[in-house]
Amino acid sequence: MSAHPLQFVVAIGIFLSVLLSIAGYYYIRSRRSPAAGWEQLLASLTSIDRNNIALVALDLVDESGRPKGSHEAATLEPAQLWELVGGLEGLEVLERNSEVLIELACYVQQWYPEALVVAERLRLDARELKWHVSRLKGAAQKGNLHISFPFYAQRAVVTYYLMTRRVLSLYEAGNLSMLADLQREL
Amino acid sequence: MRLTSLDFLLWAAGFVAQLALLFVLWYRRRARAFPYFTALITLNVVRTTVLYFVLHHGTKAGYAYSYWSAAILDVILQLCVVYEVASRVFRPLDVWARDVRGKFAWLAGLSLSVASGLSWLESPPARTWMQAFATKGNLFTAVLESELFVFMMALSISVGIPWGTHVAKIAQGLGAYSLISVLFETGHSYFGMSRELPVFIWLSHVRMAAYLGCVSYWIVSLWNEERAVRTMTEQMRASIFTLQTQVEHHLQDLRSRKKL
Repeated sequence: MSAHPLQFVVAIGIFLSVLLSIAGYYYIRSRRSPAAGWEQLLASLTSIDRNNIALVALDLVDESGRPKGSHEAATLEPAQLWELVGGLEGLEVLERNSEVLIELACYVQQWYPEALVVAERLRLDARELKWHVSRLKGAAQKGNLHISFPFYAQRAVVTYYLMTRRVLSLYEAGNLSMLADLQREL
Repeated sequence: MRLTSLDFLLWAAGFVAQLALLFVLWYRRRARAFPYFTALITLNVVRTTVLYFVLHHGTKAGYAYSYWSAAILDVILQLCVVYEVASRVFRPLDVWARDVRGKFAWLAGLSLSVASGLSWLESPPARTWMQAFATKGNLFTAVLESELFVFMMALSISVGIPWGTHVAKIAQGLGAYSLISVLFETGHSYFGMSRELPVFIWLSHVRMAAYLGCVSYWIVSLWNEERAVRTMTEQMRASIFTLQTQVEHHLQDLRSRKKL
């Protein structure tokens, strides 16, 4: 069974319009991408206190980025954590910055295609970070934020911290001239 | 059907352009990187040559057999080229990006469904079932390819995977040509199958000119070299993934501040 020719032409018209709109949208997005310029890319990072981030993260993981033993981990008090992280708003900043970290890894792919692996790892990390933040947003809606915050926030910070270290390692390993700029920002 | 001088000019120019592209693919050593694309262009050159000789020296049945065999092979190779482009973009290190694999499979499924739906909607004024099958098949392939190329572009931009210069040029050419083919097949279906119709002749010329444009674009793009890239050493890879140096630096900093 087939449709009337006019119905078919209308269906093709809709199909082509949708397809061309998708292509146009992503083409414009790729042109506007911060990766088009290093300065723009760095400028899109929101400034945060990296020492606070390191303090919170290294309370939970060791030098190799692995979780510490239970007796020496998670020594920070919930109130300290809240202050160091900057509450839920602070975590939202980390969430936004994690997207920029992925783009920073993608930026290196123009010289080192193998940086793709790092970008992929960062995308998975960013997904984990978003999951932790979404748990906290859910808890905030239910009025349980104070109970859930220490657990999820610290894990989100660890993920973000390791993402920043990974990006710095990538730029350092690639001996890229932008490393100094990046060290100042991260 | 009588061929006009414009028909002959476009046909001859297309054939010469494809020969030139084949020369570029082998001479500039691109054939190894794009075996399916090279096979597709080779098939087009062989098909044009064989059909020309069969038309002048063979039988009508022989021509139909050669035409349809080549058409089926053409569709298979076009889909192989789509796979080749996808694997060059999303699998540059011989492993599919983990977070892209699922999305790509989902988009491929969606593309198949839309292509099947539109082919089912089509009602070509065909005299035989073979004509109807061929018209629907051509539309299916054109719709599927145009969708896959657009989705691949969208997916790679959204996850930040850059395209190599050559693979991007091949995909752009094929994507644009498959969009034009969708228009051609729609016109074919709406206005009729008769080769004497002025609309059919006009659409055929547009399609041939578009293909000539694509082949010329590929000749120039594949002749030029890609931007040089660097390779990471084992040591570089290890330092990225262990993170030892980076984290140790921070730990020392934190410990020294605690002592103060």
